Amino acid sequence: MSSARVAERVLEVRTSPHAHNAMSVEKIMRNVVFALLPISAYAVWMFGISAFFLLVTTTLASLATESAACRMSGKRSSIGDYSAVITGLLLGLTLPPGLPLWMGALGAFIAVGPGKMVFGGLGFNVFNPALVGRAFLQAAFPVAITAYTPAKALGRFTEFIPSSLAWPFMKAAPVTEWMARVRVDGFTGATPLMLRKFDHIQTDPWSMFLGERAGSTGETAALLIFVCGLYLIIRKFMDWRVPAAMLLSAIAVAEAFHLADAARYPGPLFVLLSGGLVLGAMFMATDPVGSPVTPRGMWIYGILMGAMTVLIRFLGGLAEGVMYAILLGNAFSPLIDNLTQPKTYGERRKAVAK
Amino acid sequence: MSQLIPPPESAPSRENSIRMVRLLGTVSLMCGVLIVGTNLATRDRIRQNQETIMRDSVAELLPGVKKQVVYSIAAKGELKVMNGIEGEGQRFFAGYDAQGKLAGVVIEAGERGYADVISALYSYSPATQTIIGFKVVDMRETPGLGDRVRSDEGFLANFKQLDARVENGKEVHPIVTVKHGAKKNPWEIDAISGATISSRAVGRMLQKSVENVTPVIQKNLDRIERGQ
Amino acid sequence: MTETKPSVINAENTPFINGLWRQNPVFVMVLGMCPTLAITNSVRNAVSMGLATTFVMAVSYGMISAIRNLIPKQVRIATFIAIIACAVTVVDFLVKAISIPIYLALGAYIPLIVSNCLTLERAEAYACKQPVVKSMLDGLGMGLGFAFALTCLGIVREVLGAGTFLGFHLFGPHFEPLVLFLLPPGGFIALAILLLAFAYRKERQLKKAEAQS
Repeated sequence: MSSARVAERVLEVRTSPHAHNAMSVEKIMRNVVFALLPISAYAVWMFGISAFFLLVTTTLASLATESAACRMSGKRSSIGDYSAVITGLLLGLTLPPGLPLWMGALGAFIAVGPGKMVFGGLGFNVFNPALVGRAFLQAAFPVAITAYTPAKALGRFTEFIPSSLAWPFMKAAPVTEWMARVRVDGFTGATPLMLRKFDHIQTDPWSMFLGERAGSTGETAALLIFVCGLYLIIRKFMDWRVPAAMLLSAIAVAEAFHLADAARYPGPLFVLLSGGLVLGAMFMATDPVGSPVTPRGMWIYGILMGAMTVLIRFLGGLAEGVMYAILLGNAFSPLIDNLTQPKTYGERRKAVAK
Repeated sequence: MSQLIPPPESAPSRENSIRMVRLLGTVSLMCGVLIVGTNLATRDRIRQNQETIMRDSVAELLPGVKKQVVYSIAAKGELKVMNGIEGEGQRFFAGYDAQGKLAGVVIEAGERGYADVISALYSYSPATQTIIGFKVVDMRETPGLGDRVRSDEGFLANFKQLDARVENGKEVHPIVTVKHGAKKNPWEIDAISGATISSRAVGRMLQKSVENVTPVIQKNLDRIERGQ
Repeated sequence: MTETKPSVINAENTPFINGLWRQNPVFVMVLGMCPTLAITNSVRNAVSMGLATTFVMAVSYGMISAIRNLIPKQVRIATFIAIIACAVTVVDFLVKAISIPIYLALGAYIPLIVSNCLTLERAEAYACKQPVVKSMLDGLGMGLGFAFALTCLGIVREVLGAGTFLGFHLFGPHFEPLVLFLLPPGGFIALAILLLAFAYRKERQLKKAEAQS
């Protein structure tokens, strides 16, 4: 983790140059939230009030968990550093828009509680908290988490997706009847990845480019996510190497598969636009807590995750692989850090023969 | 947490070794006697249990059956009547109603599912060449998803009348699992939505088994009808 | 670990209660984790596994204790394993004779009772030093303690993971089960929750005792 991440409010002794102003955790985090807002707004435009309330629920639940955990352990409340807001928003953006709200709240609780606060709070967690929450939900509710609904449904600003408002711990209402009623021509409830894997249907790249497709709440508009991520990179709030490595390696691996068997494996464009790859690469893989700190390590980490994503999608049983690829990358990052430590000036390699 | 017995102070002498061998021998003998005794005492009961389970499953798949005969198919496609249910080869059970007429046969089948092998029984009517029932015996599929192949009513409805006609050793229409809601023909199985892999495994299982087993049944149909 | 010593001395006087509660094999000693995590996805499986282990422990400890003065130290482990393996094989037959569905559900875990570290640990720590009746009581207590822990875990996992208890539906047809608890990771999570509860209780007791003295 970078030193800025664990900055505490004590006297800091730094080596020269002293004139440079260290970026505070709050400032970085605040800007990440700014970058996520357009994506969230677009998600609400696509999926309506269900998406809006899902995002609000996950954000409030993660704030509440963070505050409760701080109170229980007798620490100063850390909700002011925006990290719980980011976790809540990211979790909401990776869930299907029609997911029952109580499941979203449970996921946010798991993300911030066991995913982060148990380790000691921000900077000490091993995995990206939002993805821990999502992995829990995926394992706990395998049906609900793959129940996607079409984008641009009729009356999406006046009416909830029926599954959203399930009672806590109760099953969601079926959405088939609702989907038949509100569906705009050409939109189905299956994501492009699911369509490809289970039904061998290719989705039109243009509609994927615009984000007008079924999918997780905030993953659909690849271009918008890319631009928002670019803002963070240009303002130096995050390192460009991880997303670059992850996206490039995903493209390379997909291209290799596509060249080997074009009928079975779609090309890199589809891989980039279809799932949550861009969202994951821009906003989750780059979480400085779970990624290596050395530049070489960042490249290795990104390449590993990009390749894993495509391998899981093409060869695995799941339709989408970004989540597990990033969690796996998080698990590897301490090891990568160890292997890529730069040499101290003047240090020599030990003679092998001795 | 436990006080360990201190290691031996001196190397074992010859006398000591003999003692050890004798003791281990005695213990093994005692254990052997105990195991053989239990085996003898429980053997009949265990066989009875296994048979009851099989017969109950067969009765469930072919309601109204009064008499059952167990057959096995040897390597060369030869048919053999079995006394118990234990034995080698592909087994199937012929069920007869109160008048002694062949009501159908129940065939054992298995196929690799999402996790480990799904083993199942299905009932087959030689007269109409259709599958008329299906029951999972054992599996390790994901609870809540894949394990619905055992209980999902919509899925089990597929097997009330599934076309399994065979001509010249090939199925006329190979049994195939199709996407949920896309079943159009009598030889198609409507998959469970969200449990595609397990549903497909069931389809493959039936397709293979029908192709391998039912020709033998059709060839020896007079024998089976007479219950020999 | 420091406070286990007095209870070991204590254990010689009250072997049964000791295993059942004070030194519960799962919640206090954290032994025998493989069946604890693997076979507790339903109450029925957990109870059957616990009882099978109890039987193995009580019978084999009686036998070990009976010949404890004859066993040379060098081959004691081999002797224990031979005797325990014998008891396990007997249980294997018995379970099959009682119910085939239970036998199928427990699967490979019955033979694996042999390698359950709990069974060997108590043979080494207790049965090879104590008289027959006490050893059998210890086996019975430890086994029932194990069964109790497995049942607790089985209840948590079955109720949350399937919404049922011994197959009866508890929350009506609209309950959305947390399937996760039936899967292996759910076993770890449920065990962690129970261990947390035990540790919390213990800490409070210690604090209370401190305050009194």
